[in-house]
Amino acid sequence: MSNTDTVADRKIVTFTLGKQIFGIDMTSLIEIREWEDPTPLPSVPPFIKGVTNLRGNVIPVVGLSERLGWEPSVIHPRSCILVVSISGKQAGFLVDEVTDIVAIGSQEVQPAPDVEIGEPSVIQGLVRITARGADGTKSEEGQMVLLLDLDALSLTKHLDLAA
Amino acid sequence: MSDELDEIQAIFFEECTEGLAAAEEGLSAMQNGDTSADTIASVFRAVHSIKGGAGAFGHTALTHFAHSFENVLDAVRGGKIEPTLPLVRVMLIAFDLLSDHVSAATGQAGVPEDGEMIARLEAILANGGLADDGEDATPAAQAPAPAAPATEAPAGEEDPFGFQPVTVAIEELDGESGGPADWTVRFTPGDADLANAGEPMLVIREVESLGGEIVAVDVGDLPALRDIDTEAAYFGWTLRVPGTVEESAIRDCFDFVSPEALVEITREEAGAIVADAVPEPAVEQEAALPDVRAQVDPSADLDQMLSMVQSIAEATTIAPSAPPAPEADKANKFADKPSEMVSQTIRVDLAKLDMLLNLVGELVIRNSILSDRLSSADAQRVELPELARLTRQIQDNVMSLRAQPIRQAFSRVPRMLRDLGAETGKTINLETIGETTEVDKGVIEKIGDPLTHMIRNAADHGIESAEERIAAGKSPDGTIRLSAEQKGARIFVRVKDDGRGINREKVLAKAVERGIVPADAQLSNEEIDQLICAPGFSTADTISNISGRGVGMDVVRSNVEALGGRVEIASVPGEGTTFTMILPLTLAILDGMIVRLAGQRFVLPLAHVIETVQPEKGQVKRTTPNTEVIEMRGEYLPVKRATEIFGLNDDRSIEDSLVVIVESETAGHVGLMVDTIDDRREVVIKSLDQNLHPIRGLGGATILGDGSIALILDIEALVASPTQTRFAPKGLAA
Repeated sequence: MSNTDTVADRKIVTFTLGKQIFGIDMTSLIEIREWEDPTPLPSVPPFIKGVTNLRGNVIPVVGLSERLGWEPSVIHPRSCILVVSISGKQAGFLVDEVTDIVAIGSQEVQPAPDVEIGEPSVIQGLVRITARGADGTKSEEGQMVLLLDLDALSLTKHLDLAA
Repeated sequence: MSDELDEIQAIFFEECTEGLAAAEEGLSAMQNGDTSADTIASVFRAVHSIKGGAGAFGHTALTHFAHSFENVLDAVRGGKIEPTLPLVRVMLIAFDLLSDHVSAATGQAGVPEDGEMIARLEAILANGGLADDGEDATPAAQAPAPAAPATEAPAGEEDPFGFQPVTVAIEELDGESGGPADWTVRFTPGDADLANAGEPMLVIREVESLGGEIVAVDVGDLPALRDIDTEAAYFGWTLRVPGTVEESAIRDCFDFVSPEALVEITREEAGAIVADAVPEPAVEQEAALPDVRAQVDPSADLDQMLSMVQSIAEATTIAPSAPPAPEADKANKFADKPSEMVSQTIRVDLAKLDMLLNLVGELVIRNSILSDRLSSADAQRVELPELARLTRQIQDNVMSLRAQPIRQAFSRVPRMLRDLGAETGKTINLETIGETTEVDKGVIEKIGDPLTHMIRNAADHGIESAEERIAAGKSPDGTIRLSAEQKGARIFVRVKDDGRGINREKVLAKAVERGIVPADAQLSNEEIDQLICAPGFSTADTISNISGRGVGMDVVRSNVEALGGRVEIASVPGEGTTFTMILPLTLAILDGMIVRLAGQRFVLPLAHVIETVQPEKGQVKRTTPNTEVIEMRGEYLPVKRATEIFGLNDDRSIEDSLVVIVESETAGHVGLMVDTIDDRREVVIKSLDQNLHPIRGLGGATILGDGSIALILDIEALVASPTQTRFAPKGLAA
């Protein structure tokens, strides 16, 4: 009770896009699936890779790397789709590799400095965790994880602008 | 303003919605002169059950108001107050207030001011109550109030059952005997009984020895004389045994009858004979009447008793459709007769129905896959056609579960018009046609908003003021005709007004001013009419300046398009405007043709397909760099390459492709170029906007048998001419 710094009250899933580690809240995660080519859609921005069948639901698959303004992910055997639920809508995000599930305390999250990743608001905050890196080793001093704000990524909002 | 409405409360509000719809329907019918007891009772019932539920959930304001309203309705129902037209009008206003109260209870609005109306209702009750109230309250006048169990108020303050006073009377007379009610024994020997030397006579004598007596002989099975088998049993007996006899003692009499014989031992209850006498065939009825005689004290006036039974019989037959009162049901001697069944309903979560529909869709798909893989001889051998037929039936049935009369969507219109009339000072009559047309629930839910917009538009802009109308030689009252009809797999919902029509010059001028169309544009009348649906056209500025239309019509159009439908506008200056929403009957299943575009599978709705052509060399000609035509029996039809529209890579030659001639409402016959046609099947439509957003050119997606996704083509959007897409809310280029 006295050491509030270590109270872990949220769980995040960490994953990599390129060399960078990101995290999203476990609560919004529905499932993690292997990459499978989605059905391409016409007339949509390139970061929307298409739609796929999630147990009878048609959900969009988004190239998260491109969505954040980086180079498109190259599909490799460990490529995954994180299926998440964002304010009632479901979507899949293509990520390079899912690394870990870690518990963090809300107090550990630092507000994001003015980082320019696509648009600033998508980074909810920064947190330092001791987690397995992209190479599978645990670094002692911990790594910086960028927590994504899924609502800010909201597809419909963004698509309306793009449309 | 509670955010956490619990589930039961949510059900109550749903019932309120239904109740309000029923009340409004009834009141509207009364306004149109139908003041039958049934109609009045239905309004009463609706208000009464709203009151009951509201009381249970502690919505005091709603309960209080509903109570006042109900009192007046009860008086009308009881014949104490005449349902005159002015009274019905007051009740309609009271109804509006009741709707507001319900909205307030759901937290959607503030509690309305009802003091004045309550005072008014109380005054009506007080004045009406002075009138003679004895003779009118005859059983015949009361009985038609069907005793639906749902109307039973938790508080149980007033009994809605017209039967009540009658039942009490019988119990009083019955009170003489005091002891347990008599037994009714029904005995029909089995077919083989007589052949096996069974002696019904001995059995009956044994029952008689217990004090029983035969009250009826059922000879209904007796065949013509020449057909009689002397060893067969044709008779059935109904006996009455005093209630003091133990049931086991009666059973003992039947120890030696065969298992095929029918033996029913039931205890009669007060009122049972009454309930029974009416619906049973004549034989039974006659059996019942002596029962009554036997039951009452011999000193009781037999004639009075009989006339009473008769009046009950009459009263009950007036409302044959009325569900039997619960006590009658329970006491019904032969309650297993299916003819006595009341149609029952069950509330089902829509999500479960959707799930079922999806599964049936999968079944349909599997079925077609199976038929693809089997040769026709094998298909016959495994009875595939039979399976397909069954699947089809299941599918139709599941679809019909979701179908509901469009009345639900229409029900809020009268209220809206009353409000609009009060706002604008216009008198607007409403005609509704085809409100029993059944449409998928999803469609009904989604046409509500577009309908509201269109009605508002018609009332606000279409119909002129009374003075203007008189000046134009029309009747001072405007008319809006709301109609629904089904044509094939589409449903047409029309809002037609007899107003001034669209002022095309002003609409065009406004569109040019707003930069929606270039100043030098040459537009047809239809295209100008369509402009009122253009986004950006409807702004506050426009409403005040344009005498035509424009409020929210872009919303109407995008909503309807999102449903896979479209809006047509037909306007005759000076005579009025008709808006037609053409919608798919269901949002769930579509008959489609699986085609390939650049190798990718798409679904082309079969309803649009006219024919398919394998073009020969030279049959498709390029007219401009971007347009092609196909020659079909001397006619040139435009050809569109869907692959081009969708930006797919396609290096097929025309000769390797197929041209599907499709029919569109906006562009007539158009050829659509596809790679190949895979097959034809029914597909379950999944919306894209559920998780994404609508994409122009696509009507949704579907999941094929192998789990992969095929996109459904939206023919209208694909073949629409550039003029039309120019004003479209979301162009293909988006």
